[in-house]
Amino acid sequence: MRLVLDHLAAYRPFWSLAADGVFSKGIHLVSGDVGSGKSTLALMMAGLRAPESGIVIPEGITKTMLSFQFPEFHVTGLSVAEECASWGLTPDSVTRLAGINVGNETPALSLSRGELKRLHLACILSRDYDLLLLDEPFSSLDCRGKEQVCRQISKQSRGITVIFTHEQSIFPDITHIWEIMRGELVDCGDMPAAARRWQHAPPLVKNLVSAGRIPFKLTPEGIREAACRIRG
Amino acid sequence: MQDPRIRLACAFLLSCAAFISIAGAAAVFIWWLLFTPRWKSIRYRTAVLATFVLFVIVAGLMTLTGSDGFSYLVRMIAILLIGTWVYAESAAGDFLTVGTWCLGKRIGFEAGMIAGMAMQLATGLSDDFRRIRIATEQKGQSWGLRSIVPAGRILIHDTLRRADDTAEVLATRGYRTGGNLCPHFHTSSGDVVAGICAATTLILGCLLR
Repeated sequence: MRLVLDHLAAYRPFWSLAADGVFSKGIHLVSGDVGSGKSTLALMMAGLRAPESGIVIPEGITKTMLSFQFPEFHVTGLSVAEECASWGLTPDSVTRLAGINVGNETPALSLSRGELKRLHLACILSRDYDLLLLDEPFSSLDCRGKEQVCRQISKQSRGITVIFTHEQSIFPDITHIWEIMRGELVDCGDMPAAARRWQHAPPLVKNLVSAGRIPFKLTPEGIREAACRIRG
Repeated sequence: MQDPRIRLACAFLLSCAAFISIAGAAAVFIWWLLFTPRWKSIRYRTAVLATFVLFVIVAGLMTLTGSDGFSYLVRMIAILLIGTWVYAESAAGDFLTVGTWCLGKRIGFEAGMIAGMAMQLATGLSDDFRRIRIATEQKGQSWGLRSIVPAGRILIHDTLRRADDTAEVLATRGYRTGGNLCPHFHTSSGDVVAGICAATTLILGCLLR
């Protein structure tokens, strides 16, 4: 199972994006500045936007899901129960996974954006996809929410999970890092070696790398372990 | 058309002309053929087509119930064409400058800013609608007429939320009412001719009522 981006290119006035690479099974991180083209790339990888040139080749991928940054776009049910049912799930298990304390009949759109985001991500992460594309999954979440979502994402072992984000503090157990630099998707490689080449790395990771203590994982535990190695 | 004052005045006059009579609507159509880029001014053709279909349905129902559906259809199409032209020609800040020029730094500025924000939101709505459609189809649900209600609910909810956020941001930045603006306009001779013709169209619509 893999997703091949074969000389993909997208253009707009004063903006362009080129992507070439292979996404295999694991959890991938695509980092880049705001406006660099992460959402456009996600749409092209999901087959929902045609590139100006090049081709996306899904090999062995039958079930794809793209999660948008704003969870409202995914809401089709009036209540929390209806929304969970629209994903083929029961509300109790989803709200437990999301860590939110709301009634099943609560109107879905009356939830705060953070609660709705957690509910939406819990719905998505409760199902199996060959290709799961998460566009800014940590937006609207507090630190505890981010950590909780990261733990759930880290459990995704079945297919290809790609996280598009400019998040700088909390990450799941990333296996491969990519970044968009000057309009081009750059392959930084597998973790932990990728941390050396990662230009958009958070300051803490950069400091650890420059001190020669490369974190084996980007999870809070992995960063902590690398930091403790410095003290030792 | 370069002068937003004349453009908005034309839109108002032509909408009135089309609303008043069929003859007025026909004159508006001729004005549209003469003074606009015609089909090129229709940016979102699917949305315009959907609105047209809606007008046809309403006109059909009116005819069936004994009202003049044909007259309604002709007049609404004329207004739709003028609306799409104004939307396509409008640039950011047009409403703000025209509002301030017309009604002053308090009420004019306020009204212009509100209109400008509404226009900005309208631009984003089509993108939001496309995302909602994608999200619905990803759930394995078919997209059809029944999907319009939940999609519309989300769009309205999201628009109200954004308006609320914008109001909070403005209040936080100390905005109370009005503001200073020195608008400058460039008026070409073509703009003046189009404006005079729009006024004539309204007079014609009134006379042939």
